[in-house]
Amino acid sequence: MSDQQNYEPRIVAFLCKWCSSAGSDLAGVSRIQYPANATPITVPCTGAISPMYILSAFNKGADGVLVSGCHIGDCHYIEGNYLARRKMHLIMQLIEFIGVEPNRFRMSWVSAAEGAKFAQVITNFVDDLQPLGPQDKLKKAERV
Amino acid sequence: MINIQDIRDTARDMLAKGEVRAVIGYRRGSRGMLAEPAFITDPAQADDLVWDPTCFHNLSLYLVEDRKFLTHVRKTANAPIAIVTKGCDARSIVVLLQEHYFKREDVYIIGVSCEGTGVVDERKLAPHLNGFQASNAAFDGDDFVFITAEGEKRLPAREVMADRCLECRIPFPKEHNAVFGEDKTGRQLAEPFAALTRFETQGTAERWDFWSHHFDRCIRCFACRSVCPMCYCEECVVDSITFPVTTETTAEDKANRIRWIERSAVRSENITYLMTRAMHLAGRCTDCGECERACPVNVPIRLLNNKMEREAREQFGFEPGASIGGPSLVASFLDNDPGDFIR
Repeated sequence: MSDQQNYEPRIVAFLCKWCSSAGSDLAGVSRIQYPANATPITVPCTGAISPMYILSAFNKGADGVLVSGCHIGDCHYIEGNYLARRKMHLIMQLIEFIGVEPNRFRMSWVSAAEGAKFAQVITNFVDDLQPLGPQDKLKKAERV
Repeated sequence: MINIQDIRDTARDMLAKGEVRAVIGYRRGSRGMLAEPAFITDPAQADDLVWDPTCFHNLSLYLVEDRKFLTHVRKTANAPIAIVTKGCDARSIVVLLQEHYFKREDVYIIGVSCEGTGVVDERKLAPHLNGFQASNAAFDGDDFVFITAEGEKRLPAREVMADRCLECRIPFPKEHNAVFGEDKTGRQLAEPFAALTRFETQGTAERWDFWSHHFDRCIRCFACRSVCPMCYCEECVVDSITFPVTTETTAEDKANRIRWIERSAVRSENITYLMTRAMHLAGRCTDCGECERACPVNVPIRLLNNKMEREAREQFGFEPGASIGGPSLVASFLDNDPGDFIR
C-alpha cells in the first residue's frame, strides 16, 4: 500500500455540549459506523470557541479542525452560535487567505437528534482530508 | 491648506488656560526630515509643533500609555489631554472610547485633515532622492516638497505616499473637538483595498509561498504590538507573565502551563502569533499602518488586517471606528450573517 492509502487524517472536533456532543453520543449508541479520525473536545458552547483554539489545534498538528454546534435559533445560551458563526467565518477566511487549503477547516450544525448527520459530517470531512495529505504548514516544527 | 500656526495657537491657548494638562503632537525629530511625537506641557513650547508628510505616528498610542501610567500610580486625571490626530488616528480613539478604555472628556481631539494627500512612505521615497537624506518635508497642494543637499525636490504625493493613505476612504477625523483642514472624504487616489485585491488574484499555492516566506522572516521583536494602540492588553497571549510561580509550583506545573504560542521565532509560532493578532484586531484595526511601518523586516502585516477589515465590511457591513456607541464586530451579530459555509 502507498503512503497515501495509509494516511489517516487527524481531526480535532470542537463539539458543543448541548447539541453536537450529544449528537456524537447518539451516533455511538445507535452503532452508526463512521471513521475514528476525530478527537472530540466538548466545549460549553460554540460561542465560547476562541479562534485561538483553531490556530492552536493546527499548530499542535491537527490535519483538520471541525467546529460543530446547535442549529441557528437552538442555542442553549440563545445567541452563542450566532456569535460563533461570525468568528468562524473570519478565521476561515484568514486561514484560506494565507494559503492553507480551505477544506481543512469545517463548521457544521448537528443537533442532539442528528446522530446520522454527525457520522455523515465526519465521513465527508475525512474523505475531503485524505487527498490533502498531512498538514505541515501551521504545524510546530519537530525539535532536532 | 493647513496653517500650522492655527494648531500651535490652539495648543498654546489651551495649555495657558489650563484646559488641558498636555498636548501630544508632532515636532521636528533628530533624524533628517522625520517628525517625532512631542509631549508639550509648557505653553512656550507650543511653537515646536509641526505638521508635515512625515507625521505618520498614530499618537493615540500615548493616550493608552497615559491611561496605563495613571492606573499604575493610582491617580485620576485632573484635565484632559489634547492630541493631534489624522483621520485614522481619530478612528483609533473612537475604538478605544467604544471599548471604554478612557472617557470622552479625558481627551481633546485636535483633528487635522489629510486633505488630498497623506503621509510619506520612506521606502518609496528613497529611490527618488539620489542617495541624499532629506532634511525637510512639506505639503504643497498635491505635491510633497523635500529639501536635500541637492536642493529642493518636488514630487507628486501619490508617487511617494504610503499605501494606506492612497487607499484611505475617510482622510478626515470625524470625531473631533477642533478640526483643521478641509474634509476631502471621497477623494479616490487608489481603490480601497487595492493592494489586497491584487494579492488575492493569486492561487492558494502562491499565497502560501508568499506568506511562508514572510512568516519565516519575522523575528518576533513585537514592534507591531508595541506600536499598536489597540494592543493594550495587560497580558498578551504570547507572554504569560501572570503565571503565578510560588515555592509550591512544581517543575511539572511550570512545564505544563498553557503556552498558546511559544516565544521562539520559528515559522509555525510566528504564524500563530500574527494570525492571532489579526483576529484580535478584526473590527478594531483602523488601518493606521503603523505595524507595517514599524516592522524591521518588512512583513506585510497590513494585508492581514486589511483582509479582516474588508471581510467585516463586505460580509457584516461593519466599519471600525465609525461611532462611539456602535457595537463591536465579534460581540454582535445579524440574523442574515453569511452561513453558507456551514454544513
